[in-house]
Amino acid sequence: MSTAYAEPVELAEALAAVSSGARPVAGGTDLVVGARQGKAGLPDSLVAIHRLPELRGIAEHAGGLRLAALVSHEEIVADPRVRERYTAIADASAIVGSHATRHVGTIGGNVMNASPAMETGGPLICFDAEAVLASISGERRVAVADLLTAPGRTSARPDELLVAVELPALPAESGSCYVRLEYRRQMEIAVVGATAMVVLEEGRVADARVAITALAPTIRRVPEAEAALAGTDGGEEAVVAAAAAAAAASEPISDVRGSADYRRAMAAVITARALAGALARARGEVVPIPASPALHGTG
Amino acid sequence: MATAEREQRTTFIRQDGKDKVTGLGRYAADLTFTGMLHAKFRYSDHAHARILRLDTAAARALPGVFAVITADDVPDVRYGPYVQDRRLFARDVVRFEGEVVAAVAALTPEIAERAAALIEVDYEPLPIVTDPEQSLADGAPLIHDGWAGYGALEDMVRDGNDASRSTIVKGDVERGLAESDVVLRERYVADMSHAAPIEPRAVVAQWNGDKVTIWSSTQVPFNARAGVATTLEMPEADVRIIVPHLGGGFGGKCEFHFEAHVAALARAARRPVRLVFSRREEFVAPDHRREGQVIELETGARSDGTLLARRARLVLDNGAYSADASFFSQLGAMMAVGPYRIPHVSVDASLAYTNTSPSGSVRAPSAPQSCWAVEQHMDELAARLGIDPVELRRRNIVREGDEGPTRQVFKPIGAAEALEQAVKAIGYGRELPEDEAIGVACGYWPSFANPSGAHVKLHGDGSGTIVTGAQECGTGAVMALPLLAAEVLGMRPEQFTVVYQDTDAGPWDAGASGSQTTTNNGRAVMEAARDVREQLLDLAEEELEAARGDLEIADGEVRVKGSPTKNISIEDLAAKAAGDRLLIGRGSGPLPPTPVVDASGCTGRLGMESWVGPTFITHAVRCKVDRRTGVVRVLEVAAAHDSGRVLNPRGATGQVEGGVVMGIGMALSEGTLIGDDGRQRNPHLLDYKLQTASDCPPIEVHWVEVPDDEAGPNGSKGVAEPPCVPTPGAIGNAIAKVLGRRVHELPMTPARVWEASQQ
Repeated sequence: MSTAYAEPVELAEALAAVSSGARPVAGGTDLVVGARQGKAGLPDSLVAIHRLPELRGIAEHAGGLRLAALVSHEEIVADPRVRERYTAIADASAIVGSHATRHVGTIGGNVMNASPAMETGGPLICFDAEAVLASISGERRVAVADLLTAPGRTSARPDELLVAVELPALPAESGSCYVRLEYRRQMEIAVVGATAMVVLEEGRVADARVAITALAPTIRRVPEAEAALAGTDGGEEAVVAAAAAAAAASEPISDVRGSADYRRAMAAVITARALAGALARARGEVVPIPASPALHGTG
Repeated sequence: MATAEREQRTTFIRQDGKDKVTGLGRYAADLTFTGMLHAKFRYSDHAHARILRLDTAAARALPGVFAVITADDVPDVRYGPYVQDRRLFARDVVRFEGEVVAAVAALTPEIAERAAALIEVDYEPLPIVTDPEQSLADGAPLIHDGWAGYGALEDMVRDGNDASRSTIVKGDVERGLAESDVVLRERYVADMSHAAPIEPRAVVAQWNGDKVTIWSSTQVPFNARAGVATTLEMPEADVRIIVPHLGGGFGGKCEFHFEAHVAALARAARRPVRLVFSRREEFVAPDHRREGQVIELETGARSDGTLLARRARLVLDNGAYSADASFFSQLGAMMAVGPYRIPHVSVDASLAYTNTSPSGSVRAPSAPQSCWAVEQHMDELAARLGIDPVELRRRNIVREGDEGPTRQVFKPIGAAEALEQAVKAIGYGRELPEDEAIGVACGYWPSFANPSGAHVKLHGDGSGTIVTGAQECGTGAVMALPLLAAEVLGMRPEQFTVVYQDTDAGPWDAGASGSQTTTNNGRAVMEAARDVREQLLDLAEEELEAARGDLEIADGEVRVKGSPTKNISIEDLAAKAAGDRLLIGRGSGPLPPTPVVDASGCTGRLGMESWVGPTFITHAVRCKVDRRTGVVRVLEVAAAHDSGRVLNPRGATGQVEGGVVMGIGMALSEGTLIGDDGRQRNPHLLDYKLQTASDCPPIEVHWVEVPDDEAGPNGSKGVAEPPCVPTPGAIGNAIAKVLGRRVHELPMTPARVWEASQQ
């Protein structure tokens, strides 16, 4: 049970609390639910960060976007800049948990919880997003890909607070998509997820990023899948090869949510759908957000 | 029914609606008392083991702990509605993971939890049986060594791990099969599932001398009262059960559960004690989950589709103890025949003990699983015969004068009409995209006749109160009782309040179970209202100086027929009565007669051979199947029900909608996985997947109103359970149409559908 709780209005105060061992809480969707389920007790000391104005809002930044840590999934889905340019993140935020989760759950919490099944991780990695970590001794930037080290583990130091996620500028003619295998329409958790980001130049794939979610201890890119696409016209053959590469790169487990065999088979199906969505968007076609229901053929 | 009255029934808003919608409503877990303690149970650490040593000293020594009790602290009584095979606390052997070994009452839930963990128990593990078929195999370990010595109903057929066997024999099944042109044999397996009410159960007990009041989230307060009296060996009169608002039950809160544990704790601690279940406990500990089934069917038909014979073997999973599941083998056997004319029938159904949580009534117990198998089997048979599956049903469905499995002759019924209406509503036969299909399933379900009672009082201001023993579990059946009283008394339903859910106030009632509230308590309330009506007419006779035969009661007044100006309002009559002889009516009413059957070929008869007010249902569903992932979406449902006359259209339609959604969950996503250690592997709502509001398809409900004058009031029949019955079967048939292959396991999860598509 927590015995200390503070809700500072100054970032410096929050950082001081974190450096002295307090655990930050914003939406509380992972922290509180986890404690209620007995996964991990509530920390002794909590510092609420919801009153820190600098942790709010989505802003243009160096040609890209800066998502401050308290930005909720609902804000992400509603933001026209995210929808237009970083569409896969909107796909992901739009299907996190339930309406209630998306209302209070934040991007900062989603990233720092470091679940291998988190929705926004794949898109952030594919966009080369950087996490901005602040502490009393200053700020540093870490690629999200390097931040997520193991289930529930990050490379952030205990005294660091995630204050923002920064998305670099994107080339023109890019398209992205996140697709999750969904058994139902709300309250789902990724059993298999895939992100694709492609850049087209004169009809050919100039750059491709593919990441798989919930298929390995951490969310990871699949270079073999990316290589299978680079330089191609993004046609069916290339997509099938990339999807097969994603399945081959996955290390699925068998549990109550699905067998390893089913997950591996689905890794290919879902990756192919994410690629189809990303390619269509890069070509200027409309794929609804979130993409999962439509691309499942079950919309 | 007059149009105005029907209008009133459609627009009537239930009394508890605002409380529940706005959050004002108080549930058992919201109650708090001065000095109240918190209860936690220590559950068995094994699915099957012998207790060698049980030491509570460390738990008792923990500061803040007021009581720790075990089997030694309560009378050594075995209980159970059909067979008395369990105790409040494990004594020698634990038989499933949720068995209660000890209970703690402490100042806070956290202290209670710590104390429960401090209880030391040494076990000798015993062999675990989780598969009901293996449980019945030769040489399987006996789950109850002393089964033969347990008290049980005389008509039960029990043998070792078979806790209740039931058979139906009609005609000569061998001959029927031999005379058939096509014989189809199939096997289906359904997993265990749960009632999963949104409110986890809660119980609060407070003693006053030798009397105890228990606030419980039970669907059946009078059963709970009897259970406390039996297990704590005290008079029923000293036990009062009160039910605050109930946050859903779906059968899971039927029977007697934990009221006595909490009462015993409160007595030992000399303080009020509250128990509130976590979601995990709600899955693991209660003795009411929907049983898994193995269903083997063999059916013979002539080439024109005429059904000649059905042989079936059912093995139902009883779990570790017999809650109220004992009659499921007989009910399942009836379901294995289905609403069809089949001259030769032989069904053998067993209820096998396993080391899993006990089965019990969950909304239409035994039916959705067996109907799912039977109705897929019907489609498969149609395919073998080269007959459209709807046409095959049309040729065999029961009609007036036909006989059921036990030769019950059906009175006028709407089974065939329900089939026609459902297929018409869904547009059966229309062109669909290649990944969509329409599936159809028929089902049937009895109404249940029980004694029941009510009082109706009219106050001096002309308003009324219904005092009933009936229990509201969310269906709205109790909330709709004012409609019935108002109809008899020519008043408006808004003029009545309802006092309910208190065993010291209302007469005995079987509770919110078996779709029985309107059928039985509705009858009682109308009877009580008629009693008041007679008293009003007595008064009006004097006031209007008119003969009884000339009086009518309507629109809030008593008037002389043909002379509308000669009248007196019920309000005025009530005011007069308030100064003299009070207007108090009582009612119970005679039970509807039990239909005649010839069940001479049946064994294990526990009352399910004869059905009062049988209801007939057809559901037609349109599904989209993603062949690549196995994900199925139900796009549209048409449900047609012959539930007799519909008394409360809004409430009844809500029941069908809810039942269909529950059926979709059973069909696609709700199944409990059991590990080799006998533990549930998904006892939480993330991995036990209920359908969410976003998943609900449009549901079109059609009522085939064929009144049954030997069932509920005004020709009505039960409504709440039937909508669960055929939904999984209809979905199974739609999936099979898209895939060209059938899924033989329930739930038909994406992985299972995908596997079928890969074959």
